[in-house]
Amino acid sequence: MSGHSHADGVLPHEPEKATLEGRNKVLGFWLFLGGETVLFGTLFSVFIALRDQVNGGPTANELFSLSVVAAATLILLTSSLTSVFAIQAMHRNQPKAMVNWLLVTILLGLGFLGLEIYEFVEYAHHGHTFAASAFSTSFYSLVGFHGGHVAFGILWISLLIWQVLKRGLTVVTAPKVYIAGLYWHFIDVVWVFIFSVVYLMGKVG
Amino acid sequence: MTAEHAASVEQPKKRARHEGPKKHIIAYIFSLVLTILAFAVVVTGDVSVNFVYVMLVLMAAVQVFIQMAFWMHMKDRGHLYPIIGILSGVIVVFTMIIMAVYWAWW
Repeated sequence: MSGHSHADGVLPHEPEKATLEGRNKVLGFWLFLGGETVLFGTLFSVFIALRDQVNGGPTANELFSLSVVAAATLILLTSSLTSVFAIQAMHRNQPKAMVNWLLVTILLGLGFLGLEIYEFVEYAHHGHTFAASAFSTSFYSLVGFHGGHVAFGILWISLLIWQVLKRGLTVVTAPKVYIAGLYWHFIDVVWVFIFSVVYLMGKVG
Repeated sequence: MTAEHAASVEQPKKRARHEGPKKHIIAYIFSLVLTILAFAVVVTGDVSVNFVYVMLVLMAAVQVFIQMAFWMHMKDRGHLYPIIGILSGVIVVFTMIIMAVYWAWW
């Protein structure tokens, strides 16, 4: 299938579902998200099992700063909403507004990533390095893997913006943007469990 | 080529109404309130640890449900297979989490 917009030049309503290829991409991505769920689940279960094995290093309660976590949570939650706005702009066939909302999403994602890097550097200064204990290794594996997903999402959405600016919003590019939106929401969903299970439960004891 | 391509694109039968941002902003506010509640329970909590754990997991689950239903469109039509796909992942995860909690904490 060619990348040109279709004959009459009018983008259908919900362009991500207008072609079989688009619908298959969305379905395939949901199955991928099922696999991602398992992947994060394994990291969560390891963290839950090992979170008290601090090996003489700082405990979760001593380490975590809730204000930084709250700021990161707010930023990521807001970025999830702005990516919703991007998809809504796509449904109204307003590529410019869509790109702008995607840019806001990326900027918030970068803010989140910056906070996480600051946090990790801070922890390392307190002796909480990757190999310090079973707690630190499982912590960095889980939270770092999520951060890696955020970084990948930023890169992916950036490339999509570039492609949409080059080729326009078509039935070929629209499913890609929609799927990237799903991915971004999934990242936020995983973060909800991270701030609850890792940080807040860590603060309780 | 163009005719063939056009044939593969389904035009909507009737002019579809675009949903406004209202529902999504409500979902955002709900998520925000649940997040603030979760932090508040931990910061001000004078209650038992087990109670806090249960509250945190419940509030996270509700927030995730809201976000998946509205933001990821799982409440919309034609999402049976996506739900089966993600649920099969969730079932595996539940088994693992229960195993980890059972082995390590009891």
